[in-house]
Amino acid sequence: MRYLKKIYIVIFISILFAISYLFVQTAKIQTLLNQNVEKILINEAKSFAQNINLLLKKNLLEDPYQQLQEDQNLRTHLENTLSVLRSNTYKYIFVLYRDKQGVYRFLLDGSKDKASFNQRLNVDKKLWNRVYATQKPLIVNQKKLDGLWITYLVPFVVNGKTQAVIAIDFSKELPENIYNAIAPLNNIILYIFIAIGCLIIILVYQTFLSIKNKKESITDPLTQVYNRNYMRELLKNINIGNYQIMMCDIDYFKYINDNYGHKAGDAVLAQTAKILSDEIRQNDILIRYGGEEFLIFIKRKANENDTLACNIAQRIRKKIETTHFQYEDKIIKLTLSIGLTCNPEHFKSISDAIKHADEMLYIAKREGRNKVVSTKDTQIQTVQFQNKKSINEVKAAMEESRIICYFQAIYSLQSNEIVKYEALVRLQEEDGTITPPIAFLDTIMYTNIYNDLTKVVLESVFSHIKKHKVSISTNLNFSDILDNSIFDLIIHEIEAHEELAPWLIIELLEYEIFAETTAIIQERIQKIRSYGVHIALDDFGSGYANYAIFKILPIDILKIDGSLIKDLDTSKTSRTIVDSIVLLAKEMNIKTVAEFVHSKEVYDEVKKLGVDEAQGFYLAKPLPKINTED
Amino acid sequence: MVEYGVSVLKKLLFIFLLLTSLLFGSDLKTEQRIYNLIIHTLLPNKEDIKVWGDSLHNKELLNTIPNVRFASSPQDADFLLVSKKPLQDPQGIIFVTDFNLLQKMKKSAVGGFFWQKGRPNILFLRKNLQKKSIQLPESMQDYIEDEI
Repeated sequence: MRYLKKIYIVIFISILFAISYLFVQTAKIQTLLNQNVEKILINEAKSFAQNINLLLKKNLLEDPYQQLQEDQNLRTHLENTLSVLRSNTYKYIFVLYRDKQGVYRFLLDGSKDKASFNQRLNVDKKLWNRVYATQKPLIVNQKKLDGLWITYLVPFVVNGKTQAVIAIDFSKELPENIYNAIAPLNNIILYIFIAIGCLIIILVYQTFLSIKNKKESITDPLTQVYNRNYMRELLKNINIGNYQIMMCDIDYFKYINDNYGHKAGDAVLAQTAKILSDEIRQNDILIRYGGEEFLIFIKRKANENDTLACNIAQRIRKKIETTHFQYEDKIIKLTLSIGLTCNPEHFKSISDAIKHADEMLYIAKREGRNKVVSTKDTQIQTVQFQNKKSINEVKAAMEESRIICYFQAIYSLQSNEIVKYEALVRLQEEDGTITPPIAFLDTIMYTNIYNDLTKVVLESVFSHIKKHKVSISTNLNFSDILDNSIFDLIIHEIEAHEELAPWLIIELLEYEIFAETTAIIQERIQKIRSYGVHIALDDFGSGYANYAIFKILPIDILKIDGSLIKDLDTSKTSRTIVDSIVLLAKEMNIKTVAEFVHSKEVYDEVKKLGVDEAQGFYLAKPLPKINTED
Repeated sequence: MVEYGVSVLKKLLFIFLLLTSLLFGSDLKTEQRIYNLIIHTLLPNKEDIKVWGDSLHNKELLNTIPNVRFASSPQDADFLLVSKKPLQDPQGIIFVTDFNLLQKMKKSAVGGFFWQKGRPNILFLRKNLQKKSIQLPESMQDYIEDEI
C-alpha cells in the first residue's frame, strides 16, 4: 500500500512534468518560429533597403531635401517605387531626414496613408540618431507601438555623410498569425493544466474527507481518544518491546451510572479520558478499550527502566483520586485501578501481554481497588506466599542451564521393579536449592520462555532415555498440544530422536477438551502416537475428569490422581472410586498408575485394588539422576 | 462540496472580470490620458473648462477627462476637439485629430493629435499658440512647429 502511494506520486509528477515540458516546448516552438520568420523578413528587408539605397543614390545628389522639394516628379517616382515594396508584412516604407533642430521629417513615403513632404514625424530620436551617427542599420523591436512589430532602419549615406534614414515597418500581423496558429495547442495544454489543477483540488478534498472519516472510525466519539478499531490496526505494526502496557478501569463506575444517570457516566468518562490524555506523554497511546476501561501503551526507550509505566500509572491514579469530577451541580469522586505489563516482550504475543495487564488489573480490583498492580508487585507478593519466581529469574535460570529434570521411579506392583520414570522439571537456585515448578510455571505460561523450557525438558528426557534405555514420562498440557509453536517443537524433538520415541510417555494434564478443538487434538495426538510415543492421562479421577475423553483419544496409561490415592487406606469412597477406575481401565485395556503412594498402607491398598504401577515417596523420591542399578 | 465549488467558481469569475476590465480599460484610456494632458497644458489656470467635440468619438474621449464639462455650443467652449473644419471659427482653443485638417486650419487651430505610421504625433502651431497667449511647458517645446 505504501509503495502504491509512492508509485501514484511518481506517475502524477511524471504527468505534470510531461505537460510542463510540452508547454515549455510549445512556447519555444512559437519563439523559434517567430525568430526564423523574423530572420527571413529582416533579410528580405535588408535586400529591400539595399535596393532603396541604390535607387536613392542613383537619383539623389548631396542635398536630397533640396532636390526633392524642388522636383515633385522625382518625389512621386521614388515614392511609387517604394510603394511597390509595400505589402501586408512591410506596412510602412518611408525615408526621413533630420532637420537642423533635430526633428525628423518626411522626404519620401511609400505608404498607403502618405504623409506630406517635410511633415514631421515623432520618432524615438535616440535610436534614429544612433543610425545617423553610426551609419549602421538598426533593428528595433516595437513593443510599445500598436500594430508594429519591427522597424528596420538603414542610413542613406552620400559622400560619407548621413543624409536620411530609410525605415521599413513590419506589421504585427504575421507574428500574430503565428501566435493564433499555435494558440489552440497552448490552450489545450492550459486546459489540461486547469483540469489537473481541478483534479488535485478534488484529490486533496477527497484525501481530507478520507482522513477525516478514518479519524472518525478510529476515534471514540465520547472521549475523543482512540477506539479498538485503532488498536487492531496498531497491533499489526507495533513493536511491543518499545512499550509498556497499562490497563485502567474506573472503580465502581456502575454506581455512577445508577446514581447519577448515564449522562453523568458519559461526562465522567470524557473527563477521565481527558485526564489520562493530559497525564501521558505525546508518544504514549491512549485507547478506550471497553466501557470504562482504558488501555495505554507507554513508550519506552531501550535504556528506560521498568518503573516508567509504574510512575506514570501512580501519577494518573493520584490525579484521578484528587480530581472532583463535575456533572451539572454534582461533584463526583472517583478512583482508578490500574494493571501493568512492564515487560511485554516476554510474552508470546501482544494479546497475551494485554491479557496479563488485564489480569493485573483484576488483582488490583480484588485487592481493594484504587491500586496500581504490576507484574513485579504480584511476583513479590506471591513469592512471599508461594515462593513464585519472576519471569526474569526463570529466564536467567534458563540461560544458565539451571532448569533441570528430576526423575521419580514408577514401580510395577506385580514385579515390584522400576518400569519407568516420570520427569519432573525443577529450577535450581544459584545457591543450589531446588524450586518446584509450581513456583515458576504459571509465571512463564504465556511467554516464549515456556517454549524454551519445554524444549529443555524434552531434550533432557531423550538424553536420559538414550543413556538408560528406560521409559520416561513427561507432562504436557492440552493447551501445549494446541499451541502451534509448542506442538511443532514437540514433533521436531521426537523426530530428532525417532528411535527413542517408543520410550517416551506424554502425560496430559487439564484434559478439558472443547468441541471446537477436538479435531485438532485428535489429529495431533495421533501424529505423536504415530512415532510410538505413549499417551497417559495424568491426575485422572479429580478436577477435569471426564470419561468422554476415552471416546476421543487413544489412551495408553491412566494415572490416578494423588488426592484419591493418598487416603486410600482410610477412605472407603476413595477406594470405591479407584476400584471403579481400575475396572474401567482393565476393560479398556489401559494401564493404571497410582500416584502419591506415601505409605506402606497405601501401597498395599493399591496393590490389592489391582493397580498396575505405582509411584510416590514411599517407593522413591524424585532424584536429579536415574540410577538403573536400583 | 457543491457549495464549495460554486464559491470557488464565483471567486474565479470575479478575478477574471477584474483582470479583463483592467486590460481593456488601459487601451481605451491611452488617448484620454493624452487629451487630458493637452487640455490641462493648454488651459493650466482655468478651473472650469468647457469642452466641445464635433463627433461622437471626440465627445466620448472628452467625456472621461476629469475637471471638464461640455459646453452647450462650440462658441461657449474653451477647448474644441474637431475632426472636420467648422463652418465658423469658434473663440476657444481648437485641436484637430488629423494632420490634413491641421493644414487646412493652420490659422485657427493651435495643434493636433493624430496617429502617423503607427506612432502618436502631437503638433502645436507656434503662431496660434502666441495668438492665444499660450505658453507651453519645456517638455512640450519640442512639439511646436513654426510652419506646416
